[in-house]
Amino acid sequence: MVNGEGAVETGREQLLESIRSIEMQTLIDMVLILFAAYILGRIVTIALSKFSEKMSRSGSVKVKMIIPAIKFGIYIIAFFYILREIFSMFGPELFLLTGLVGAAIGFGVKDLFADFVGGVVVTFERPYQVGDKITIGNYYGEVTDIGLRATKLVTPDDDTVTVPNSLIFSEAVASGNYGESEMMVVIDLYIASESDVETAMKIFREVVVSSRYVYISRSSPITLLHKALPFYTRLRARTYVNDLRDEFEFESDVHTRAWIEFQKNGIRAPQLHILSIPPIEEERESSDTNQRNVRLNRRNRGDSEFDTGSQRNSEL
Amino acid sequence: MTGIHSNGSEGKVLGEVLGLRDSIGEIQAAIADFEVGKRLNVAIIAEPLGGKTTLLNEIEKLNLSRVTKITFSKIVRDKKEISLPEDTKRVVLLDNCQFLYMRRSGGFEVFYEFLHMISSQNSIFITTWNTYAWKYLNEVFRLEKYFPVQVFIPALEKEDLKDLILGRYEEGEIIFDSGNKVKEKALIYIEDYPLELASLGRKVYIPVLKINISYLKKRLLNEKEKEREEEKETAEDRVFGEIYRESKGNPGIALRIWELEIDYPHIEPEGVRHFSYDIELEQEEAFVLELILSYQGLRKSEIVDIVGSMLRTDEILFQLLNQELIFEHENGSIRVRPEALRSVIAYLEKLRLVW
Repeated sequence: MVNGEGAVETGREQLLESIRSIEMQTLIDMVLILFAAYILGRIVTIALSKFSEKMSRSGSVKVKMIIPAIKFGIYIIAFFYILREIFSMFGPELFLLTGLVGAAIGFGVKDLFADFVGGVVVTFERPYQVGDKITIGNYYGEVTDIGLRATKLVTPDDDTVTVPNSLIFSEAVASGNYGESEMMVVIDLYIASESDVETAMKIFREVVVSSRYVYISRSSPITLLHKALPFYTRLRARTYVNDLRDEFEFESDVHTRAWIEFQKNGIRAPQLHILSIPPIEEERESSDTNQRNVRLNRRNRGDSEFDTGSQRNSEL
Repeated sequence: MTGIHSNGSEGKVLGEVLGLRDSIGEIQAAIADFEVGKRLNVAIIAEPLGGKTTLLNEIEKLNLSRVTKITFSKIVRDKKEISLPEDTKRVVLLDNCQFLYMRRSGGFEVFYEFLHMISSQNSIFITTWNTYAWKYLNEVFRLEKYFPVQVFIPALEKEDLKDLILGRYEEGEIIFDSGNKVKEKALIYIEDYPLELASLGRKVYIPVLKINISYLKKRLLNEKEKEREEEKETAEDRVFGEIYRESKGNPGIALRIWELEIDYPHIEPEGVRHFSYDIELEQEEAFVLELILSYQGLRKSEIVDIVGSMLRTDEILFQLLNQELIFEHENGSIRVRPEALRSVIAYLEKLRLVW
């Protein structure tokens, strides 16, 4: 036991001695290697992204797909050089150093480590790619960058969201297009129940197929659905936008043109049901009445049965 | 379209159709089948200026006594315009069927009537379609079910293009100048090859290294005298080689390039330019360009009806004219410039506006 403690003590001293013997130049080299890897990664990302912007959507996706892999390769090479330096410096004391590193990962940077592992998984398993529209956690947006630690999304409101890569271990990821240029868009229109559904469906179909954003093929057909609900009728189109970046423009285009045609053909939007929700004007009036009753009750509290009833009404 | 010889050239018979022999055979077979009770409607499909009207005219000539022909030259808005007269023959030829729909809500009524007509009438319908309109309508309405026989007009061969162009002139009328650059074929030489890259959305020229096999053979066989005679590629061959590469065998584009480059009666190979356009358009402008391409020619009023705004249409057409992509035809329709056609197609494929 005493011998064991002595050995550990000796090892510790040797490790400290090795750390003290590290030259400043070596440390600077390591930092420079990391910095160079980062800069190279950025250059590759920017250059390939610029190049992909000049290409068609499908070509662009293919180019962007290789960006994370190249970045990963650059970082692997950088880490290889750094680890080689570390090996040459510490030699037999390395197991002590790995113990320290293990403890650091366990206590301090475990999340960062999980993010790196997530980055590796995202790079090679590819649950999503740069350019995809994905839903992860509470966020929906277009993937603009896949880094080793985090993935960047741009939401429809133009917010850039940085999602840690480790999230893929705990959250399901939904990719709307999965590397394809086209993406399914579900467009719902609600019309009054008494409307002529056949005419409405015909208009809806023509509006969708004539949109400049639509993409139709054997594998990307248009499906129109009609569902009658108690107070309104829902028309739903499952269709594909030719470039997923135009998802919302497509939806807006279809809504605008469909309602112009609906109005021409006497197809109305559903009205609020008179039995379930009172019209706003009546509600305001009754609210005013209640307020008046409250004031009245405050003035004549406890005077008569009628007033008590009024008070009950106002409480209701 | 002029795909037929109007004049004899190198012993060819007047009226012979260039490069369409197989297509004619296919259509005639469909007509023969109809006579024995098998009704298979025919769709003749070609890109703009590809020669579909020429082919239909030839079919009309071959079946003069039994055909009724209707040609559409603008968007058909009234169902009555497609109703067949009582004395309609059993073979109905319909030219430019891309004009039977309008790409907007409410613009398909005539097209529904057309589909009903070809399904219900006891006639065989031989129709012509612009490739891009056909692809669109086929995806939307499964048009191929109505037209079991589809004839895609092939590109012309280089020799056919040469015959087509020179057929308009007397023999020796055109002088092919080789200038000072008499090009002798080397063993290895570089040639610019035009390529439409949809992924880049433009037409690019790629230098291709070529090996002169015949020259190599002659070298090996030591036929020096003969070699000196033949190793010089004639200026005529080079002119038509350039035109063929630019047009990719499209007769309309080839004729347009010829007209642009000839300084009558002289033409030289170095004078045949490369046509490549850098196109930058907004979404709506690209959409209108796609409509003009698909219909082959649209009047301004028709574009206004589809776009829904006169002001916007003017702005869009101004942009397209500025970039020299379109021109106004003498019949009042707006068309894609033939020399810009390849660049336009590559650009619209990049945007996935043509499928």
